[in-house]
Amino acid sequence: MASVFSASIPQEAPGYSFNHLSSGTREHAFNPYTDNGGSTLGISGADFTIFAGDTRSTSGYNINTRYAPKLFKIGGEGPSNENARIVLSVVGFAADGNALKERLDTVVKMYKYQHGKPMTVAACAQRLSHILYSKRFFPYYVHAILGGLDEDGKGALYSYDPVGSYEREQCRAAGSASSLIMPFLDNQVNFKNQYVPGSGVGHALEQRVPEPLPRKDVEQLVKDAFTSATERQIEVGDGLQMMTITKDGIEEVYSPLKKD
Amino acid sequence: MEVLLGLTGRDFVLMAASKAAMRGATILKASDDKTRELTKHTLMAYSGEAGDTVQFAEYVQANVALYSMRNDTDLGPGAVASFTRSELARSLRSRSPYMVNLLLGGWDVLGGKDVEVESETKEGKEGGSDAQDGKNGKAIKKTGCARLYWIDYLASQAEVPYAAHGYAQYYCLSILDKHHHPDIDFDQGMKLLKMCSDELKRRLPIDFKGLVVKVMTKDGIREVEFDDSAPVKSA
Amino acid sequence: MDTLVARYSAPPSQHQPLDQDEQEELMEALPPLSLKFALPPIAQPSSWLRTMTDDHANPNCPIKIAHGTTTLAFRFQGGIIVATDSRATAGNWIASQTVKKVIEINNCLLGTMAGGAADCQYWLAYLGMQCRLHELRHKRRISVAAASKILANLVYSYKGYGLSMGTMCAGVTPQEGPALYYIDSDGTRLAGNLFCVGSGQTFAYGVLDAEYRYDLSENEALELGRRSILAATHRDAFSGGFINLYHVKEDGWVKHGFNDTNPIFWKTKLEKGEFSNVTADLD
Repeated sequence: MASVFSASIPQEAPGYSFNHLSSGTREHAFNPYTDNGGSTLGISGADFTIFAGDTRSTSGYNINTRYAPKLFKIGGEGPSNENARIVLSVVGFAADGNALKERLDTVVKMYKYQHGKPMTVAACAQRLSHILYSKRFFPYYVHAILGGLDEDGKGALYSYDPVGSYEREQCRAAGSASSLIMPFLDNQVNFKNQYVPGSGVGHALEQRVPEPLPRKDVEQLVKDAFTSATERQIEVGDGLQMMTITKDGIEEVYSPLKKD
Repeated sequence: MEVLLGLTGRDFVLMAASKAAMRGATILKASDDKTRELTKHTLMAYSGEAGDTVQFAEYVQANVALYSMRNDTDLGPGAVASFTRSELARSLRSRSPYMVNLLLGGWDVLGGKDVEVESETKEGKEGGSDAQDGKNGKAIKKTGCARLYWIDYLASQAEVPYAAHGYAQYYCLSILDKHHHPDIDFDQGMKLLKMCSDELKRRLPIDFKGLVVKVMTKDGIREVEFDDSAPVKSA
Repeated sequence: MDTLVARYSAPPSQHQPLDQDEQEELMEALPPLSLKFALPPIAQPSSWLRTMTDDHANPNCPIKIAHGTTTLAFRFQGGIIVATDSRATAGNWIASQTVKKVIEINNCLLGTMAGGAADCQYWLAYLGMQCRLHELRHKRRISVAAASKILANLVYSYKGYGLSMGTMCAGVTPQEGPALYYIDSDGTRLAGNLFCVGSGQTFAYGVLDAEYRYDLSENEALELGRRSILAATHRDAFSGGFINLYHVKEDGWVKHGFNDTNPIFWKTKLEKGEFSNVTADLD
């Protein structure tokens, strides 16, 4: 799709004088995907899980909209998904992301109606993996992160590749700014390459042991991650959607990001 | 660089297959057996596309076994070869053909010349088969004969006195052309095989980890001790 | 007029948001046991999938599937050692450093993961299910030979579709003793004493082959497994992270830690004087 549009962009600069029609036969490749850009992240704490995603949607160098949410409540009631306890974030191809969200949401709702109890995050995580894998040969072009609270009330976070391999983690960034955000999270959440001050020099240095962070600190980390990513990634910006899952439910907050 | 070799003699068929199982630049196994027994007297050696080889060989093996159970008699080597070839040809015209090269060798108990034997010394099916009793206490028996079939992945089939698949063809067929005779005995056959093996060790750029050697005679199939551990000097 | 209407109105099926099968599947409480996979609506699904997902053939492919690895397993007098690294890569991006590449099929069968992470995770979980069903049906545990053949036949039935996996099945059963099988997505299935699989296999083989003996003691075997993975993580950029070590014994497997390679590397270097290509000087 991206190539179809870019061909029709009026060009300001002088182009190359290649004759596109003279290059022989034209191929019609099957390309059902486009990348809508943006970035998401999730961090799990002792008794909460935070999700965040920017709200910009792009295709190529165009901005489609400044408010396209990438975070979805799963398995709630009614059109606004009340009383949901699971959040899915998807980044990549927005159409696939929506299809995936609809499918998972239906499954989780059916589970509740048929079993009379809400689906656990662990079960939902495995089901999402199977949904993704069912399209192993025609994948959903998405990076999904799923989270909520586990059966012990601790924050739970699962991250996925496009065909459904998954893993429970403390934190994960996905999307176009993942390469900017993930190293920051490794350092600030898992304390990678941080050492205990005064524990020695050189090889005697002791690795700082990671511990669950308080909610306020995590919220600040998330905001810093996205304001920084907005500065350096053209596909990230406009707005920040944050969802925090606690024992009391899901709190959703929107805050602006730079709109250039 | 898989090696398959086969040769027939007066009262035996010898088949050899390389022991290396390779994937990319790695030898995963140096004691692989690329053969399957189809009946008491026939053996299939295979090479080709990973996965296809074993699947196809075991498919044929199962169908030949099924035939034996249903009809209470084994298929002869010729029938087994025809069946194998036709299955390969059928698969070749499907969406995912088996890419397998084969050698099929066996002792044909119904082949060879007629001989008269004393009917009281009739020993059932041991060795040759027995025909109906002749007159004056004599029975007609077949001597049995060695058979070898060369089949490639395009389902070409040929009955041959000796055969090879893969790069072994380029080195060994000329040796066999020069030294093979239809009525060689087992020891001469082993000597021939050793000549081929030595030449391959001398000239093939990749180590194929030696050969598994099996022999088919009127008594069935037996694995033969084949010592090719001695290094071969280049000329 | 009718022809005009016919030309511009879509056939009724196109108005259906979901087809019958999809509708039914969504209404099911449990995922279907029959394996139905969506395929792209084109003549050559496998070559299309390759252009979309194979970052080796096409570094600019849009969908990058997690890959990479070093895994090893070997048989010795005390059972089977299974060791892996923990890195997953998508192109040049390190997607994760904490992947569990040893998959616990049941309490005495282990599988390892090399190639596509999702392929291994999904099909080894499927194998676990089939093994449990075998137990329930036959009232005894499945042999490693049979379990590995289920997997080999399964992946063989998808040959050419683009699955990518190189896996080892390790287990101890009363009838077989310690048994080790290598299975890959071409459909190859081999029994053996020692296998290394993945992009770092050659480096692991180098260390393992040199010091491997069947009569290794338990501690020697564990150390050799660990050291072979360390060698691979040091030389293969697609391997790294943590060393995951398992020992399979008659009464089930035992986990021997999930340890960061970095301290192990420095301990090996400073205490044994190995890795002399790396300097330990701080200035």
